[in-house]
Amino acid sequence: MNTAIENHWYPVAMISGIDGPRETLLLGKKITLGRKDGTCWVKDATGKALPTVERFGHLWTSPGQPNRDLFTIPEADSPGRRLVDVGSVKVKCSPLRAVENFLDIAHFPFVHTDILGAEPHTEVDRYDVKIREEVDEVWATKVKFYQPQAAKSAAGGITTEYMYRVPAPTCSVLYKTCPPRPGEWDIITLFVQPLTDEWCEVWPWMALYDDESTMSEMVSFQQLIFMQDRSILENQIPRKLPLDPGMEVPTQADMTSVAYRRWLKKIGYTYGAQLVAA
Amino acid sequence: MSWIAVGLKKDVPPGIVIPSRLADTELAVWCAPSGSYHAWSDRCPHRGMRLSHGFVRGNTLACIYHGWQYNEAGSCDYIPAHPKLTPPDTICVPTYSCTEAGGVIWVSLEATDQPLPELGGRVPVRSVPIALSAENVAAHFGAGSAPTVAVVSDHDTVLALQPCTDTLTMAHVLASPDADPKAVSRWVEDLRATLEGVPA
Repeated sequence: MNTAIENHWYPVAMISGIDGPRETLLLGKKITLGRKDGTCWVKDATGKALPTVERFGHLWTSPGQPNRDLFTIPEADSPGRRLVDVGSVKVKCSPLRAVENFLDIAHFPFVHTDILGAEPHTEVDRYDVKIREEVDEVWATKVKFYQPQAAKSAAGGITTEYMYRVPAPTCSVLYKTCPPRPGEWDIITLFVQPLTDEWCEVWPWMALYDDESTMSEMVSFQQLIFMQDRSILENQIPRKLPLDPGMEVPTQADMTSVAYRRWLKKIGYTYGAQLVAA
Repeated sequence: MSWIAVGLKKDVPPGIVIPSRLADTELAVWCAPSGSYHAWSDRCPHRGMRLSHGFVRGNTLACIYHGWQYNEAGSCDYIPAHPKLTPPDTICVPTYSCTEAGGVIWVSLEATDQPLPELGGRVPVRSVPIALSAENVAAHFGAGSAPTVAVVSDHDTVLALQPCTDTLTMAHVLASPDADPKAVSRWVEDLRATLEGVPA
């Protein structure tokens, strides 16, 4: 057992979507989950109960013994936010590739054309990235990008500010300029369930200020974005994320991804990673 | 190493990129607006995205992920996230010998001084995938062990064989300019069915 991998919390279901016992995969192993009397449960293949947390509309579990609580997002609790369960998308790629793509802004004009980005607004200015040792998380701040349609709630093009946070190896939280409330952050997360090291189930979740859009409009917007990402994620070679330098060529715009890869290596998180050039 | 057909000129006009493969080598084959053909490793060195999903802009092939542009020599000469940066020469895509002749796009994975296959004035009809190794397809016509081109008496055709995998061959079919392309096309459909052992 590799505790550096197993002692983390992983999303395995959207709570509102659990209607009966069901099987899924976590780190390549079969697990069963369900809900009884309003409380969710998870069992491994031997029938042993695994620990659970119900948070952010999702059910979380761990095959190991997590040495800390599941992360929190205090901002998401503020009143007036609408909490959006986006659903799930299965993607044939390493869970780490899915997270890294979420941390990337330079692809917006080419993959999310005329929505999250548009030529000629392609330049990525320098931003700040660091590993916050006290909480052991990767943070990127002061990320700015011009967006034609930053959110369902945006009326036109704006320069959006982003903060990215990686609080767990397969999860990322994005804090993003809220179009109707410029002083607040919208929160968009990517929770990734590693089915195997080359196959994942992605559960986006959002906490937005948006009094206009219907729930299904907000879900559709985010699903469209992620479907565009999937066309990339299933066509990267190799499927695993290379952690050693040499196999891929980063630039300054990729500082977040560089920090993410370094951090994964530092904490020994190698599931879905490629360590030597193939 | 000899020349192997990877596609027909009429299927890859200027401005188009397609995926192709020769055994273990996955290729992005594209045609510049100038009409020159290129066969590259199907992988952007930045983040590993398949270049065959990219787009041709000017005389460059651009990756669909971040828009990095590669000139006809395979060197990156523009990174949209850093428009003022001149990319270092080290950012380049592995390229292979590629040329068009007789309406066929030919690739050699290694440097070669071999002449291009002789087509006897035949012209391209179509490309057909056959679920067999190239050796097995060639053996059907009594051709040698590692053929790239088989001359077939039926309809006086040439089959330029592209070994894609151990169980897939792309047969690029050429025939006399006087032949009826529909008759040749039906013949190759029947051939495929016979070789794959399924009813036509």
